[in-house]
Amino acid sequence: MLDNFNHLVLPNINLLLRGLSVTAYVCFFAFLLAIALGSVACLVRLYVPFIRVVAIGYIEFCRATPIFVQLLWVNYVWPELFGFPKTVVGAGIIALALQSSGYLAETFRSGIEGLSKGQRDAGLAVGMTNLQIMRRIVMPQVVLVMAPSIVNQMTVVIKSSTLVSVIAIPDLMYEALKLVNTWFEPIEILTSTALMYIVAIFLISILAKRVSDHFRSKFGLAGLV
Amino acid sequence: MKRMAAIVRVVELRKSFGPLEVLRGITFDVREGSVLTIIGASGSGKSTLLRCLNYLEQPTSGEVYLDGKPIGFRIEADGRRAPDTAANISRMRAELGMVFQQFNLWPHMTVLENVIEAPIRVKRLARKEAVDLGRRFLSKVNLLDKENEYPARLSGGQQQRVAIARALAMQPKVMLFDEATSALDPELTGEVLEVMRALAKEGTTMLVVTHEMGFAREVSDRAIFLHNGQIEEDGPPARVFSAPTSERCRQFLSKVLH
Ligand SMILES: Nc1ncnc2c1ncn2[C@@H]1O[C@H](COP(=O)(O)OP(=O)(O)O)[C@@H](O)[C@H]1O
Ligand SMILES: [Mg+2]
Repeated sequence: MLDNFNHLVLPNINLLLRGLSVTAYVCFFAFLLAIALGSVACLVRLYVPFIRVVAIGYIEFCRATPIFVQLLWVNYVWPELFGFPKTVVGAGIIALALQSSGYLAETFRSGIEGLSKGQRDAGLAVGMTNLQIMRRIVMPQVVLVMAPSIVNQMTVVIKSSTLVSVIAIPDLMYEALKLVNTWFEPIEILTSTALMYIVAIFLISILAKRVSDHFRSKFGLAGLV
Repeated sequence: MKRMAAIVRVVELRKSFGPLEVLRGITFDVREGSVLTIIGASGSGKSTLLRCLNYLEQPTSGEVYLDGKPIGFRIEADGRRAPDTAANISRMRAELGMVFQQFNLWPHMTVLENVIEAPIRVKRLARKEAVDLGRRFLSKVNLLDKENEYPARLSGGQQQRVAIARALAMQPKVMLFDEATSALDPELTGEVLEVMRALAKEGTTMLVVTHEMGFAREVSDRAIFLHNGQIEEDGPPARVFSAPTSERCRQFLSKVLH
């Protein structure tokens, strides 16, 4: 087994690492886009009454559609309908972002609604505008309080990204499957691949826990929600 | 030094939440430099009254004037009342400092940042100027040494003193205190009352909702007792606290005092 590992995985490690970097790239931009879309959806849902139903529809649609369907839909249908995305990587990023943005919008909303009314009142009482209160008081606290859920969503994006190989994005999973199909030795290759995913997600979770514990003791965030 | 001008004027103020009529025609004046204490049972509308003054709640009807200027509405050229703009309402609010029962400090900002936030964002002071100002008010509440702490590291009494400094830093014309010591352990109320007492001595105009009857009697120039959304008793503290004419006020006081 170790022998197999030595001549199957090590010589191809560069290939796997290249796949991993594609995974990282896709996940990173998908997550940034998800945060942007999720913030907009959340703010519209809370504060723009006349298109509120649009935001709710968007959020529910994103959360209800399986990622596999979204990948195929964005990759094959969007170019016909909207003329973009032009690349499979673009399609993968958008599909992953769509799904996460629905969850993040709801996370942000519960963060905003969970913030005590007194926090806002204190801002209003000193003459701050609603926009200033949103930017200076509400948003920073929502991010701090929701940091664990936000990071959790990031790990979900990484897990979902294992499906982007179906639209031929050369991510870690794609490279791994290619090796398996070349050598017909799935045990070592898939085990190594699984380990890479586990380590990546584990590192992110640990880092997030460290950071959020630090915030918690520094800002007494337990008292916020 | 006390002048006779009414700095706060409340006329026939009414406030309902849906079918619940909480304030049912409240009228009073507060002279500049004086301290008005508002007492009343829980749920009698004391917080609602203070919150209507700085428009955190929109009155259902009636008027509030600060230094002669209406809060929350304008009189149009043709004499009709129109709602004021959000910007004007914010500007008026900044002239009334408010201290809340739950402190409501911003936990993600240090003590000093809490105090200078509004001077910088609302008054557009330069940061350095705001810091000087902030330190001046922090030293006034004896917390200069805590300027870099986060609120979570402070005791309740310290947090409330920071909240007072935060309100003072806007240099408001009037301070509103809504049960500033009710959330504190008994051994911590003293330090907050001390600060409030000093403010009263300096001639700060204050409207104080409190259950600390000894303190109220000592610092206030006038006390009113709210019941069922109306002023049931109104007069100098010596009379309101010792010889109230209203039976309900007597009952309330005997409950609070014993
Ligand atoms: N935002 C609100 N919506 C509905 N009812 C409210 C609201 N604020 C206060 N009330 C009600 O108004 C009444 C007076 O409340 P409040 O002014 O807080 O009394 P107090 O401060 O004297 O205890 C209570 O019955 C309370 O439930
Ligand atoms: Mg109250």
